[in-house]
Amino acid sequence: MHTLVVVCLMLLVMLVASPVAAQEADTLRRELEQMRKSFETMQQNYQKAMDALNDRIKRLESTPAPIAVAPAPPSAIQAVQGAPPGTGPGSSPISPMDLLRPREPFSLYGRRGSGQLLFDMGIAGDFVGSFAPHNVQKSGAGTFGAETNRFFPREVEVALFGQVDPFARAEVRIEASETSPGTDTQVSLAEANMTLLTLPYGFQAKLGQMRNRYGLTNPIHEHDLPYVDRPNVLRNFFGDEGLVEKGVEVTWVPDFLPFYLEALAGVFNGDNSTAFGYGRITQPLVTGRLRTFFELSDTSAIQLGISGATGQTPDRLSSTILGYDMKYKYRPEGWLHPLLTVSSEGLYSMRRVEELVTVDDNVVGKKSTRDAFGWYLQGEVQPVRRWAFGARYDASQFPTQPGFEWAIGPYVSFFPSEFLRFRLGYKYTERDRTQITPFNQNDATARAVNEVFFQASFVLGAHPAHPF
Amino acid sequence: MISRVLTLLLVLAAAFSGADVVQAADKLRVVATIPDLKSLTEAVGGDLVDVDSLARGTQNAHEAEIRPTMMLKLRRADAVIENGLDLDSWVDVAVNGANNPNIVRGARGRIDISRGLPILDVPTIRIDRSMGDVHPLGNPHYSMDPGLAPIITQNIVDGLAALAPQHRQAFERNRQIFLGRLDDEMARWKKIMEPFQGAKVVVYHPQWIYFLTRFGLVQAATLEDRPGIPASPGHLVRVIEHMKSEHIKVIIVEPWNDRKLAGRVADDAGAKAVVLASMVGGVKGADNYFSAIDFNIKTLSEALK
Repeated sequence: MHTLVVVCLMLLVMLVASPVAAQEADTLRRELEQMRKSFETMQQNYQKAMDALNDRIKRLESTPAPIAVAPAPPSAIQAVQGAPPGTGPGSSPISPMDLLRPREPFSLYGRRGSGQLLFDMGIAGDFVGSFAPHNVQKSGAGTFGAETNRFFPREVEVALFGQVDPFARAEVRIEASETSPGTDTQVSLAEANMTLLTLPYGFQAKLGQMRNRYGLTNPIHEHDLPYVDRPNVLRNFFGDEGLVEKGVEVTWVPDFLPFYLEALAGVFNGDNSTAFGYGRITQPLVTGRLRTFFELSDTSAIQLGISGATGQTPDRLSSTILGYDMKYKYRPEGWLHPLLTVSSEGLYSMRRVEELVTVDDNVVGKKSTRDAFGWYLQGEVQPVRRWAFGARYDASQFPTQPGFEWAIGPYVSFFPSEFLRFRLGYKYTERDRTQITPFNQNDATARAVNEVFFQASFVLGAHPAHPF
Repeated sequence: MISRVLTLLLVLAAAFSGADVVQAADKLRVVATIPDLKSLTEAVGGDLVDVDSLARGTQNAHEAEIRPTMMLKLRRADAVIENGLDLDSWVDVAVNGANNPNIVRGARGRIDISRGLPILDVPTIRIDRSMGDVHPLGNPHYSMDPGLAPIITQNIVDGLAALAPQHRQAFERNRQIFLGRLDDEMARWKKIMEPFQGAKVVVYHPQWIYFLTRFGLVQAATLEDRPGIPASPGHLVRVIEHMKSEHIKVIIVEPWNDRKLAGRVADDAGAKAVVLASMVGGVKGADNYFSAIDFNIKTLSEALK
């Protein structure tokens, strides 16, 4: 009886279950059919894609030259050091066919993304240590005056430069420097000017505040000088800062001459208090310069120039300074730096002065012309890339007072890289009298001055290449 | 008599000046920054262009001395062809001193050949000068890779044709002739280099990556510690050890780099230092684009044997 009940129950279960199983099998069959169809569709699509790729490869192979470049293999040494500077794989995401298609002019730059600066920026730091005996420090007879026996920031400069538009480029330089002992640093506008590049007939105009292109050394900023200090003649005739004026300079480069010639004319306020100082554009400082250049061979060349500047002093008396300059470089074939550089510059000042003289017990002003001349000669030898050895001889009178000084200064420069430089220099200066202003302060004098200089300079970021 | 002589002189002067005008009107005066681009421009421009180069083949193109004679060449130029990618950015100083509005940035006569090239060594990480003189836009030494000549010459054609549209067909025809020869030479060069596929070489300055990649070679190390930074003794020791362990046979030196140092490192590593033409005119006999690459292929394949 018990067995019969179990069998009946099993039959009952089978009767109920059989329609469900048949239903599931149908579902499975349908799903399998769908999967098969999907697979066939995928296979067809894949085949189509493969055919298209094969066609493309054949087309590419039929082009004149292969232009797809594999990514650069990583440097093993860099891999060992774990520092891959600029050697990451750089294959372009652009397809070869895209490359042959006509492009927009600036499509490459578009890939650099937004937010990039459209001008260049650089920072230069120039620190100087000046060491001299105590009497030199007290009298102010040292090259750096009140900064003698100090290590100080002579010039920290932020330079911004680039194209304004297709017609002009601009340059702004802001500098900070220590001019007297203490914690204060003076911030000033060193240069701010624009250059109009597209004037006709070979003209170009520069407007704003600028270091005048007068002579060889004046346009150079402190950190770029080939020696520690600005030559004596320039400091005596134009002051410690040199000739920096506000106005306009026009240059002309003729294209019909068989040699290079640049002619320059400028009109400025005449703010330079050492040489001029009237400071009005109505009675302007007028400058001029001619510069030429001769390639003596592939390895040596010489640049020659003459300059002139004429303006008025605060007393409305005329002041004219004429100058010559010369620079020779010998750079052996294939060298990255010149082996020999020789440069020289001379200035001749003709300045009207009014002195008080006694005539018949009356004190009257008597005008006369005071002439003064000064020059320097510099030579530098750079036998290896990192080291340069040089010396400069200075000789100068003073434009507003009697007196003469000469100096000799050897120096050595060390360049760990293009952007870092250390320089050690010595300078011996001798003056023909003790009472020369401003070298006789605090009742102290120093006719013969021994000085040692240390200079450390760096450049961060962009720095335009230097002309010859 | 005097008036006749004067008349004759005037006629002669007019004739010569007229000839100059005709010549100037017919030919484009092009200045290339480096001799490779001069050679390629000559190939494309043919008789329709007068091409001059600012840098010489034996110089380091990064650090050409800006001479006023460059400004004189640029003063008379209708176009400047520049490599771009910051290799020859010094040309800006020369152009600014040339007072020639035809070639200032943005003018039609300013032709940057790097447009559209597949650039290698584009930094993918933040870069700064601690890595040496790295190029933010990528390695600029592409001009001696013959595989890129089709794009370079196309850029030259486009640039010249923008100035002289009437000569576009002639430029294109010259280009096709050049590319035809390049095809033949390329097949020959590839055959020569075929046995050395995958060979590792050491370079002095990282300026051969395009050339090496093109012919299946691998740059294993540089003698410079970092680009533009002279090698330290420690770095050279590591390079020598690496060369020994990897059995590297060749150091490639640029004509302007320190050959003695490369020679000493090669001696210590049991390898050979070879000077290749880093630009057209870099070595004797490498006077044009084909002969320069041919020299490099022959010299390198001999050294790798």
